[in-house]
Amino acid sequence: MTRGLFVLEPGVLTTVQDLGRPGWGAWGVPTSGALDEEALRLANRLVGNPPGAAALEVTLQGPVFKAIGDALLAVVGGPFGPAPGEVIRVEDGKTLALAAGPGAVRAVVAVAGGVDVPQVLGSRSTCVSARFGGFQGRRIQKGDVLSIGEPFAPPLPGRANVARPPAGDVTLRAMPGPQEDLFDPEARAAFWAGEWRVLPESNRMGIRLRGGSLGFVETAALPSEGTAPGAVQITAEGQPIVLLAERPTTGGYPKIATVAAVDLGLLARTAPGRSVRFERIPVDEARRLLAEREASDRAGSAR
Amino acid sequence: MKQAGERAWLLEWAGDESEANAKARAAAAAVRAAAAPGFLDAVPSARTCLVLGGPGFDAAPLAGLEADAPAAPPGPAPRAHEIRFTPDGADLDEIASRCALTPEGFLRAFTGLTYTVGFLGFTPGFAYLYGLPLAFHLPRRPGPRAAVPAGSVALAGPYVGIYPGATPGGWNLVGTTARRLFDLRGDPPFLFSPGDTVRFTA
Repeated sequence: MTRGLFVLEPGVLTTVQDLGRPGWGAWGVPTSGALDEEALRLANRLVGNPPGAAALEVTLQGPVFKAIGDALLAVVGGPFGPAPGEVIRVEDGKTLALAAGPGAVRAVVAVAGGVDVPQVLGSRSTCVSARFGGFQGRRIQKGDVLSIGEPFAPPLPGRANVARPPAGDVTLRAMPGPQEDLFDPEARAAFWAGEWRVLPESNRMGIRLRGGSLGFVETAALPSEGTAPGAVQITAEGQPIVLLAERPTTGGYPKIATVAAVDLGLLARTAPGRSVRFERIPVDEARRLLAEREASDRAGSAR
Repeated sequence: MKQAGERAWLLEWAGDESEANAKARAAAAAVRAAAAPGFLDAVPSARTCLVLGGPGFDAAPLAGLEADAPAAPPGPAPRAHEIRFTPDGADLDEIASRCALTPEGFLRAFTGLTYTVGFLGFTPGFAYLYGLPLAFHLPRRPGPRAAVPAGSVALAGPYVGIYPGATPGGWNLVGTTARRLFDLRGDPPFLFSPGDTVRFTA
């Protein structure tokens, strides 16, 4: 019998995501993949999967599943469901409701064996905007049956204590962006000193922020250029957008900063209405932090 | 060369945009062909090439590519496309009058030119084509449409573009084509690649 998850309630935006499909940017294809890569790796590790196995990214309101065959799941990121950060065993025919806990905005739900959907352009991630990949190119809906692959390895004992939503003020480490010099000194100072509120209009392309305007920037003269993950674009209204996994591959807004890769998961876990600040760090430091994170990922997955 | 992230490098060229773009395409093709350890992506654009790396990627050779982009980029040879389209665009009359031509005169000129795919972006398969004469460089429409017809052939600034699907769009609409720009059942799934040439027939 096929093992799987029968979707009783889909949640607001639940999609299949893995580490994304880099390599197609020259053809305009967004990378996609989990917004919170840290949560994806950890949730997969808990259930015995390779770090990049396809999992579910849930947003704001969690789904309700009925297990077809026994299933092992782990939820990492925002608190959703009965046991965030722990391995949950759901027996055949039993139901698992992943209700959002306090402050929950996004989480990754990994299932032992991974979500079994076809690879498209090298990845199982859903590209929501262009409607391909993942489960039939779309968010999951009531009545869908998500197949689960054969388990890779036994689950990890214990629970995970990291990748939780931020408790206090959120500080994002960021390095200067490629067009920082297009902004006058006052605008730069306002950006780095300002408090920025996460807007509900945020999505998988980017997190929209609102605060004191940085003033008008002449963008008409700026031709399209490739966008990096974490790039902080300033719109014509002087407001920032932090670009995430499903960002368009090119854009013409000036980029004042780039959020450090190690802090993008934290941003993805920060609920609309919360405020963030940016802390300026040199590129070398951001690179060192990323290398440290990767070394600890390797050590963790070797256990 | 600018740093656009921990492992993101932006190579940039000044001067005429279509010449800068040719260098960006050549550099992207060279980085892709080199397939160095840790290489993730190379995205050519109007006058830049963004290179993204993963663990272990060595960015040292990139500065040399920026200083001296290869004249003949490695990789598959560019293809030549002929795109048949219907001149039913909502903005055709306005485009023609802004170019001081009749619609027939504009279409004659438009279909007589050969365009080059400079880069893709915005949405999978959307290509920015160079080759319009200066007189045909028109600003975007003041307010973008909520949805342009799928397959719209359109103009904005120095570019001709084709909208792969019905998306919001602010470009000036010339007509529509039934050709599919992004089709996952196709091999390759993309009609256009950077460097390909395109002619339109009405």
